[in-house]
Amino acid sequence: MKILIADDEVLSRRLLEKTLERAGYEVVSAENGKQALEALSRPDAPRLALLDWIMPELDGLAVCRAVRRRTDQAYAYLVLLTSKGSKEDTVLGLEAGADDYLIKPFNTEELRARLRVGERILLLEDRLVEARENMRFRATHDPLTSLLNRGAVLDLLARELHRSHRENKSTAILLGDVDHFKDVNDTYGHGIGDQVLIEIATRLVACVRSYDFVGRYGGEEFLVVLNSCDPAYGPSRAEEIRKSVSGRPILTAKGPLRLTASFGVLQSSEWGQRSLEELLHAVDTALYEAKAAGRDCLRVAKPPAQEAVAALAPQLMRQRH
Amino acid sequence: MHRSRDNSATVVWNLPELLSRVDNDQELLADLLTIFKEEFPRNLQALEAAVAGADLQKTAALSHTLKGMLSNLACTRAAAAVSRLESLASAGNGKSLLDALEQFKQETARLVPEIEAYMAGVHG
Repeated sequence: MKILIADDEVLSRRLLEKTLERAGYEVVSAENGKQALEALSRPDAPRLALLDWIMPELDGLAVCRAVRRRTDQAYAYLVLLTSKGSKEDTVLGLEAGADDYLIKPFNTEELRARLRVGERILLLEDRLVEARENMRFRATHDPLTSLLNRGAVLDLLARELHRSHRENKSTAILLGDVDHFKDVNDTYGHGIGDQVLIEIATRLVACVRSYDFVGRYGGEEFLVVLNSCDPAYGPSRAEEIRKSVSGRPILTAKGPLRLTASFGVLQSSEWGQRSLEELLHAVDTALYEAKAAGRDCLRVAKPPAQEAVAALAPQLMRQRH
Repeated sequence: MHRSRDNSATVVWNLPELLSRVDNDQELLADLLTIFKEEFPRNLQALEAAVAGADLQKTAALSHTLKGMLSNLACTRAAAAVSRLESLASAGNGKSLLDALEQFKQETARLVPEIEAYMAGVHG
């Protein structure tokens, strides 16, 4: 494990370096507080640090305070190592953000034992962060396909629609439904149905850009949000996605299955200031039209003619000026 | 305890404690003593200049550095003497600095020769 030693006194630093290397640590050294803070701010920063209190540039307390102010890095376990030994100093050091406090000259066994405490705290911290991230992922993702779940993708869509309206851009909404999916479940069982959904989800994600969103909207329905795209992009990308589903069979435990999907497509710039619910209703209607047209195709949702003109007005004005 | 060569009772440095601190690593011990031999005279000279110039801030900082160095080498009495100098300077008490410096110099007078003799004994 990496550990930072910050001490301006060369003999003390050498003693610490050797003691900690012998204990199996990868030692990073700093000669003053500024260097220490820089080392603790790097992406691969040590998460254990031994900081001398009195140092040039920045003292140990200032380093502790600066590290505790930041919120964008993993927790660092900070030990103040100093000859200041009064209760007031101890309180001051801990209040500044130090996790522990050791009086110089240090006892080697005590130093190692206290650092092991630090390692245990960091391990616990890592486990808590991992558990929180897992919970966050479970709260926002579909457990079968690992796509965004309905709530999460709709939240992101709502945010994206606001942004594209504010920035005069367009968002494409694609609602897809696997054709005759019930037959797959009825014929091959739900396990094979699950394999199909996982594979289709993988193909959808592979077809979009890293900043687009793909979510599982319902049983065999998927919602794709294409951010900041021109009006022609939505339908053409939807066609690519459709082909990615029907273009090659899906390999399952019961053999390869040929499946298709139908899509409704909507380009937000053509719909003015409609609500999210209205847009979803419109794209859902377009999907039904695709189904009615024989499946394995897409239909673009178009607003009533008057609204289309109104939605285009700002663009026409901009072109005129 | 490692005692001075004239066999007086004054403890110049506590070698067993220092050996324990370095896990009996003779190479590290030699490293530390070499650093001390180079750093101590320079720091002492700067401290004398700071006291002579009544620079309390610098006196406190240099005393602190020397205190850390001497404590690490288990030179307890010298560390205590320089700690008094640091306290006086930190408290803004410039009057007693010269006396405190003199006491500190007396404590450390035999230190460098003692350490040199030890190093010569080990490597000789």
